[in-house]
Amino acid sequence: MKDKSPLVGIIVLAIVMILLMGSVAIQPGRQRLTLATTTSAYDSGLLEKILPNFESKYDCIVDVIAVGSGQTMEIGKNGDADVLLVHSPASEKQFVKDGYGTSRTLVAYNQFVIVGPESDPAGVSQAVNATDAFKRIYQNGTEGNAIFVSRGDLSGTHTKEKSIWVKAGLNVSTFSNTWYLSTGQGMGAVLDITEQQTNKGYTLSDEATYYTRRETGIIPHLEILNQGDPLLYNQYSVIPVNPDRWPSVNATLATDFVNWITSPEIQNMIGNFTDAYGHKLFVPNAGPGSVAETHTLSSQFQAVIAIRTD
Amino acid sequence: MVDAVTYDVVQITLLSLYVSGSATILGSLIGVPLGAAVGLKEFGGKGLLKTITYTMYGFPPVISGLFIYYIFSRAGPLGDFGILFTPTAMILAQTLLVIPLVAGVTITSVSEVDKNIKNTVLSLGASDRQATFTVIKEAWVGVITAVMIGFGRAIAEVGAAYMVGGNIEGKTRILTTSIMLETRMGHFGYAIGLGVVLLIVACGVFLFMRWLQERELL
Repeated sequence: MKDKSPLVGIIVLAIVMILLMGSVAIQPGRQRLTLATTTSAYDSGLLEKILPNFESKYDCIVDVIAVGSGQTMEIGKNGDADVLLVHSPASEKQFVKDGYGTSRTLVAYNQFVIVGPESDPAGVSQAVNATDAFKRIYQNGTEGNAIFVSRGDLSGTHTKEKSIWVKAGLNVSTFSNTWYLSTGQGMGAVLDITEQQTNKGYTLSDEATYYTRRETGIIPHLEILNQGDPLLYNQYSVIPVNPDRWPSVNATLATDFVNWITSPEIQNMIGNFTDAYGHKLFVPNAGPGSVAETHTLSSQFQAVIAIRTD
Repeated sequence: MVDAVTYDVVQITLLSLYVSGSATILGSLIGVPLGAAVGLKEFGGKGLLKTITYTMYGFPPVISGLFIYYIFSRAGPLGDFGILFTPTAMILAQTLLVIPLVAGVTITSVSEVDKNIKNTVLSLGASDRQATFTVIKEAWVGVITAVMIGFGRAIAEVGAAYMVGGNIEGKTRILTTSIMLETRMGHFGYAIGLGVVLLIVACGVFLFMRWLQERELL
């Protein structure tokens, strides 16, 4: 290495150039829409299937950021995304109420399933609904025959799980960690942990993640023991980030996205979408009146708003 | 092998090299002179500064990611630059991790250099900066080691890159964030494969550096 004084200036210049390169869009000139969604939505493969339709129709590129539900909402609150696709109804309603989102429109729902070992010591498969199933798990858990593995991360799945315990009249904070494992992990990891609780492990999972892990042989001992209760519906909604709050968001394209994903053509695509194993995962439900919440400020200027609770 | 999500492995490998390589270069340009300055000067609080530097070896990458996120988020002070969820943000987050590592190893290396060399050079009329450069040249093997370790830290980290990059396909998806994605989706074999690719790439970089060293270009 020889004397480097004359090179310093050149290197500095190169560094500046390198950094600038990094922030240049891959395809300059095309509009970009930043969509923040949850990992379960992304991992199902649905977005990869339908987004090219949007990208060609509106001549743009959609940048998809997939993180946990809590993080998705934070990104929306900070104005770092243009539109959110999430599945935490309670948080979403608050999000719009607080003025972070313009509106909340239903898109589709998929289902949660209660999975467990084939031996089913808690008799979950005989439960009449999800609440009954959870009561049985609690009963057997405290007796040492069952273990429940929880997401524990305030995700949509976790929020749904907590609501079922509430409906069953049970207080999660009293659950002993000898049978109730709060892991703070994603759905895939939670299923793996459940599989390891031989003949005892139960959990609440979305169908898509369950099927993927089941078909790839990672969780050979976990079966779907209970499903179908409307309480287990997992509602996805789309929320544009409020441009009054964050003028830098691409509000026009975000609105286009809402209209597009609720259009009959795309709703059809969503309903017909199957995962790699032939399972239909989503039930589109963005029918008329599916605008569920609207930001209070602009609602003054709306003629009639149809509100649907779920 | 099933993949619900597809992408170009070559593209993400090149992006990994670009992001981590840039972070290593930037981090070294700051870390080496910093380390040399701290290593050679005597001043009150030097011991404390060295301890802090070494402690930062263990700085959690996700925290570096959070820090950069808060600065460049729209809600943050530098949000208007629109750097979040771009490779630039990833480079900056990784640079923060590289700097203490390179500085720390450089401190150790220049401290090993015989003090007489610096005094001799100064007595021959060299400026303070020239004297520092001379010592760096003497400690060159250690400095290169510092840079290599810095690169290792950058190419392997995932927490910061995922946080500030967003793992956007075609834009900010790199090898490590892809491994995380594949693992999350249960494609363990594919994840391991990507890990092997990463190791091969890192090996290539170090072999290239060795080659440069042998030809006295480095």
